[in-house]
Amino acid sequence: MIVAGLLLAAMFLQVIVVNRLPLPWEAGPDLVLLVVVGCALFRTAVQGAVIGFLAGLVVDVMPPSAHPVGQYALVLCAVGFAAGRAGERGLPQVPVVIGCAVGAPLLALCVGALLGDPRVSLSSLAVTLPAAMAYNLVAAPVVVWTVVRLLGERPVRRRRLGFAVRSRT
Amino acid sequence: MRDTRRARLVLGLLLATALVLMTVDHRAGVGSPLGALRGASSSVFGTVERAGAAVIRPFGDLWRTVTDAPRAQDLLGDLRAENERLKGQLAAQRLDRERSEELRRLLGLAGTAQYKIVTAQVIARRGTPGFEDAAEIDAGTADGVRVDMTVLNGQGLVGRVVRAGTSTSTVVLLSDPALSAGARLEGGNEIGVVNGVGEEGGLVRFRLLDSTAPLTAGARVVSFGSQNGSPYVPGVPIGVIERVEATPGELTRTAYARPYADLSALDVVGVVVAGPPRDPRDAVLPPRPKKPVERGTGTPAQKQAARGEERAAADGSTGGVLTPPAAPSGTGEPPAARGRERGPGGYPGRDTGRGTGRGTGRDTGRGTGGWDRSYETPGFGGPAARDESRGQAPVREPVRGRDPVVRGEGVYDGGRWPANGPYSAPGGDAGPSRGTSDWGGAPGGYDGEYGYEEGNGE
Repeated sequence: MIVAGLLLAAMFLQVIVVNRLPLPWEAGPDLVLLVVVGCALFRTAVQGAVIGFLAGLVVDVMPPSAHPVGQYALVLCAVGFAAGRAGERGLPQVPVVIGCAVGAPLLALCVGALLGDPRVSLSSLAVTLPAAMAYNLVAAPVVVWTVVRLLGERPVRRRRLGFAVRSRT
Repeated sequence: MRDTRRARLVLGLLLATALVLMTVDHRAGVGSPLGALRGASSSVFGTVERAGAAVIRPFGDLWRTVTDAPRAQDLLGDLRAENERLKGQLAAQRLDRERSEELRRLLGLAGTAQYKIVTAQVIARRGTPGFEDAAEIDAGTADGVRVDMTVLNGQGLVGRVVRAGTSTSTVVLLSDPALSAGARLEGGNEIGVVNGVGEEGGLVRFRLLDSTAPLTAGARVVSFGSQNGSPYVPGVPIGVIERVEATPGELTRTAYARPYADLSALDVVGVVVAGPPRDPRDAVLPPRPKKPVERGTGTPAQKQAARGEERAAADGSTGGVLTPPAAPSGTGEPPAARGRERGPGGYPGRDTGRGTGRGTGRDTGRGTGGWDRSYETPGFGGPAARDESRGQAPVREPVRGRDPVVRGEGVYDGGRWPANGPYSAPGGDAGPSRGTSDWGGAPGGYDGEYGYEEGNGE
């Protein structure tokens, strides 16, 4: 429930505020992606994948969309799965978040290229992609931290992998 | 690990679903089965987004205001500068347009009357109401301007040159009380003097030398002309009588005329460097107006030109009027023009001789007097002539008649010639009269008139 609320809030914030900010290099942080990562980090891979898929599907059909339905669902599904799996395995969160923040735009670009999206070009590779990654990285600490605070430290992995975490620390 | 396998299975399923969705949506394009989904979502999310945007907009504006502030300053400066520039251009353009219009009118007037003019612009102005009223123009001796030349603009008489420098000259305006110009009522021989009267709201005083002559508001006044066209060339529109003062028992009648030229807002003026030539046929002139213009006739023609064809409208004969005089005279137009005036002049003989019942005598008196010395004369010779003329109430009618006369030859001649006819025919009659008058008239009654005119001619 909280997750759904968070995701919806993130989506609206994304389309109403973030995408309209006149940020340089025509890019911006992807709040939905970061929320999905934040949520999946404390859940199982399956849950992460499902959350990512549904969130992506909603993002795909949200009004200002000009890409095929499913593109974002695929990307977020994969990212959610990866983040969930990383959480399950107790990998350190910071590198995971960084990896997701950097990898997701790249993955989205690849999927677009697969579909022959004309927007995927050299300039978007050279400018927009790095910019998007940078914005994601900048926004990640704030968003993920907020998500973690709101969800609380989820018990799933703790219970399952508690010893491992404890032993590591 | 079963769990992992299940997870992979779920992931694979989801990814496959996403791929299928993508493929279907991508391939189907517009008619995609997912269109319905999109539509529904857009109606739901669109509403929320609109509401959200309304809430957010002020913040967005604030943000933009802040981020644009430095640029906005520059932009503001640029726009202000541009605005100033455009305003200036606009004003200059308006000025230019007015000036061009003035010039066009001036040229039209000069062309109609066949004056040769030098255009100039008023560059300074000195005016003390009731005293001096002069303007400085940017044309001088280098441009052919000499002292005592007529200055006019597109509307009418402006004044005359009193001092000519190399590149600038001083013009005394019509409204200067010290300036007086010989003037004639439109369409008749009634002459008078125009001079400025400081105040009076821009009016000029017109004193009609014949106190019995009809004079009503609305009558138009043109310059009478001076010897050799200096300082005033004939036929320049002066103004319209606006109010007539009752001056019973005085020798002159006084009226106030509104000058055609707006003397308080002068810009482009023309200095007449050469009046209408004696014989227009030898001179290289601007294209003639459609009808032959004679000197005298120039006046009416000019007037018409200047003021629009009210008159022409009034009686179509105008055009014809002018021409006919020329025809009879045969020699040249000047006679015609003057002929009119002198027509009376011809009588002068009579007048001088006897002052026969004819009012013409008066006319002649003036015609003669005014003719050559025109502008000064009114003052001098005028009175005498006037006296004679006074008695002639009957004359008035002829005078009146002259209006038509001026216009239609038939009328004109009819009015006068018959009168003359008798006189001239007698020969003896005419003879004596002429004898009396200095300007030895030619023998013929009529011819005499013309001849004499020619003799006097300018």
